[in-house]
Amino acid sequence: MKITRRKLAAAALVPAAALAQNQPALPRNPDEELNAARDRAKGLSDALARQSVPMDTEPAFQFKA
Amino acid sequence: MPAIPADVFFATIPELNARLTSREISAEELARAFAARLEQLGPRFNALALALPQHALRKALEVDKDIKRGRLRGSLQAIPYGVKDLISFAGQPTTWGARPFAGQVFDYSATVVQKLDAVGAVLTGKLAMVELAGGGGYRYASASLTGPGLNPWDRTRWAGGSSSGSAAAVAAGLVPFSLGSETSGSIVTPASYCGVTALRPTYGLVSRHGAMALAWTLDKLGPFAHTAEDCGLVLEAIAGKDGKDPGSAGKSFYYTPQYARPNKELRVGFAPVDFAERAEAPARAAFAAALTVLKDTGVQLVETSLPRFPYGPVLSAVLAAEEASIFESFITSGKVEELADAAQIAGLKAALELPAKDYLKAQRIRRLIQEAFSRLFADVDALIAPGRAGPATKLDQRLDAGGPAAPAGTPTGFQGIIPAGNLAGLPALVLPCGFAENLPVALQFVGAPFSENTLLAIGKEFQTRTDWHKRRPPGV
Repeated sequence: MKITRRKLAAAALVPAAALAQNQPALPRNPDEELNAARDRAKGLSDALARQSVPMDTEPAFQFKA
Repeated sequence: MPAIPADVFFATIPELNARLTSREISAEELARAFAARLEQLGPRFNALALALPQHALRKALEVDKDIKRGRLRGSLQAIPYGVKDLISFAGQPTTWGARPFAGQVFDYSATVVQKLDAVGAVLTGKLAMVELAGGGGYRYASASLTGPGLNPWDRTRWAGGSSSGSAAAVAAGLVPFSLGSETSGSIVTPASYCGVTALRPTYGLVSRHGAMALAWTLDKLGPFAHTAEDCGLVLEAIAGKDGKDPGSAGKSFYYTPQYARPNKELRVGFAPVDFAERAEAPARAAFAAALTVLKDTGVQLVETSLPRFPYGPVLSAVLAAEEASIFESFITSGKVEELADAAQIAGLKAALELPAKDYLKAQRIRRLIQEAFSRLFADVDALIAPGRAGPATKLDQRLDAGGPAAPAGTPTGFQGIIPAGNLAGLPALVLPCGFAENLPVALQFVGAPFSENTLLAIGKEFQTRTDWHKRRPPGV
């Protein structure tokens, strides 16, 4: 199969395009940056809320008396 | 003084021991050569935080006297090493890789440094890192006081983080071994990208006293070296009970490859999709070949799936809550604004607002994760996955977004094994297994708590059958 320069360039561009689609837009200033971080924290909170945990499951940090 | 042969810079610890024992080389010669090399080449990779040539020379002269008097202190005696710059060394700056802490000096050395000093190892320098080990979530490789960690295999690529300098320095032959830390991925990622062998020990096996705390219930210190065997030797020296570390498990570690179970008795869980559709295309051939080698060692590869949990969010919540408490005054004082990475600054500020219920919920889910892994390890002796899905990222690539997405419907495989392993406190051995785009790619073996000897035995056998760990970056 003959590979043309155009085909090569297109192949190289595909992962970059796929990557770009995955990336959230870049915040433009510190306020936007903080809001984006808060949104991510809210996302964490929502993900944790969806997980059910039996009442008798204690937190996994140690306390020794 | 005769010049040190170039192969010494990439020698394993037993190989260096052989040269020292035969008096072919002295501790002083070794220290001078490695200290000079670290000082000269470290900045080329932004791997050096602080050179310690005078200390190294003093220590090496002491060691030579000890050796002359027959005071032999084991396999690390006279071996030069470096530590990530979040590990304190008394009287010298410990910057945590962050501009606001550039002048910070502790008057005591971390337990791991004291332990290595006691066995005669020679500290030649502090190694660069991502600022504050990246806990706030950084967007660019440049999130460091010393600039982006440059990969010795290709300086347009990242060395990985947050233990960037620890991995790069071993890869470039600037130190025979180094210490780094992992809260979630900070050993696994740079070891994978730089093509070196590294071990993330079981939580609590190695004291963190004297090291920067990022998240008390997650932080671990571990070695980077040329081989699995070297990692075992270093781990033996740094592991052990320490009353100064509340997380200390109170256990010692003895590297005992001679007592390892035969490979044919070992069941290693894997998910084929991790080595195919979920791996980056250029890396798939290397991963496939590595699996073939692994099968040839006799281990039984069994298809396994990870317990289903939201590992990423659970880890992020634990990390955010603990780092916010640790760095509260740093954040509220406004000093946080002096960090290099805007995303990291915002992440730390937002972490202060994480509700207590989320931290507790995350720690309760973590208990379930721990139990689920305990059940999983009743069926398999270890898990295997790619260290990372592909080779090192480009320096200017954003790190706060995932790589190329797998096609819809692709099985999840062991996605999340890095946060999962860290949440459950599991050890992981990372070793190079081939190349993609002329850059190293790696495997990670994850085991049950305190199963380091099993992982090291598998790794040692893999490395007797391959030479990826012997490859050197071009131009060093």
